Amino acid sequence: MQYRSMLIATLLAVPLLAGAARHTRAAAELAVSLAPIATNPAAPRMGDRLAFTSSIRNTGAAPVEGLIAWLSLVQVDPGHEQPVDLEDWSAHKAIALATLAPGAEVTTRWPMRLIQSGQYRVVVSAVSRAGDALTPSRFVDFTVAPKPVVESRRVLPVALGVPALLVVSLLLRRRRSAAI
Amino acid sequence: MSPALRIARKEAGELVLGLRGQLWLAVTTAVLSGFSLLLVGSQELSLLDNAQVVYDMAGLITALGALLAVIAGIDAIGGERERGSLLPLLLAPVPRGSILVGKLGGPVAAWAVMLALAAPYFWAIGSTGQNLTSGMAALLALGTPVVLGFGFLGVALGAWMQSGRAALSVALTGLVLSASPLLLGPSLRQSAIGRMFDAVNPFSAALNCFDAVIIDSQGAVSQASHAVVTMVWLAVTAWAAAAAMRRLSR
Repeated sequence: MQYRSMLIATLLAVPLLAGAARHTRAAAELAVSLAPIATNPAAPRMGDRLAFTSSIRNTGAAPVEGLIAWLSLVQVDPGHEQPVDLEDWSAHKAIALATLAPGAEVTTRWPMRLIQSGQYRVVVSAVSRAGDALTPSRFVDFTVAPKPVVESRRVLPVALGVPALLVVSLLLRRRRSAAI
Repeated sequence: MSPALRIARKEAGELVLGLRGQLWLAVTTAVLSGFSLLLVGSQELSLLDNAQVVYDMAGLITALGALLAVIAGIDAIGGERERGSLLPLLLAPVPRGSILVGKLGGPVAAWAVMLALAAPYFWAIGSTGQNLTSGMAALLALGTPVVLGFGFLGVALGAWMQSGRAALSVALTGLVLSASPLLLGPSLRQSAIGRMFDAVNPFSAALNCFDAVIIDSQGAVSQASHAVVTMVWLAVTAWAAAAAMRRLSR
């Protein structure tokens, strides 16, 4: 009786293990690479635009279904290590593909506008519907040099204060001349 | 006190301290404030280059100064004619040259006040960037002959043309044409016609100098050719105004 139970459990476990192995294979069947494009500025500054090209290749024998790839950016300045919200940096943050045939490759261009100065690492990650782990590219590092920009907090007091002072001085002059 | 200085004081007082001058100063600060407020945005997203904004403001102030100068110049003669006070002025024992110099006192004073009013705006938008001081020096050095030249042009047109409105429309058309490089960037003026226009247009010379000094950090010595264009403009318009004043009879 005990042997029969073990036999049934084994028979049930084999497909599950096979499925898990298939899932692991699916994750490993993607090869993701990322590189900056040749026309990127050598020493980018705030406000400049960079672009990167990613290539996602299905290296397995089966199609990869429900492919999703996205761009991630992290700041790595000492004391300021943090993930960066790409909201202001790029309007092109992810791609989705229904299926990627065996041996096929999808190439994507990721434009980016440099908002803040600092040291950054960018990476593209890919997952599939069946995969149980993501496949990242290697990191691409870049440094954004600072640029002197208009500081809004300086503008507001002057833009509102100078006309106000002018109006006050005119009113005072008018009152003084009326008194005379 | 010389007659020219006396007339200049009267003109400056009327233009800067009178109701007309007060309105003009209010308009000037409103324009500068409006321009500055357009630059206000999220601190993190503010990628506006200081130098570019200082350059834009220098051009804007030059245009405002030229506008005021040409209107004041036309009014100095055409306005006197329409108010019936030109004949007594011409009959006064004052040389025509002194009248001309004195009449420029208004635009000169107004230009000086405009530059003083613009200083805090320059500080607000440009003090964290590059070449603010040299940019303001360039505005003073090349903007002044451009503005005064338009003042002389206004005097000449006011003296030549019997109608103040006709003189004003001709002057404004010329000013808009001359100041068109404010709207057309350097890349749009690279045609043969554009380069020829730039070579003789005092406004282009001033803007190109601002560009070179403020944005490209070039030295003042390299701007001599631009300064020559503005000085030639000042000399030609002064000669035209003097000639028109000599022929002025009523």
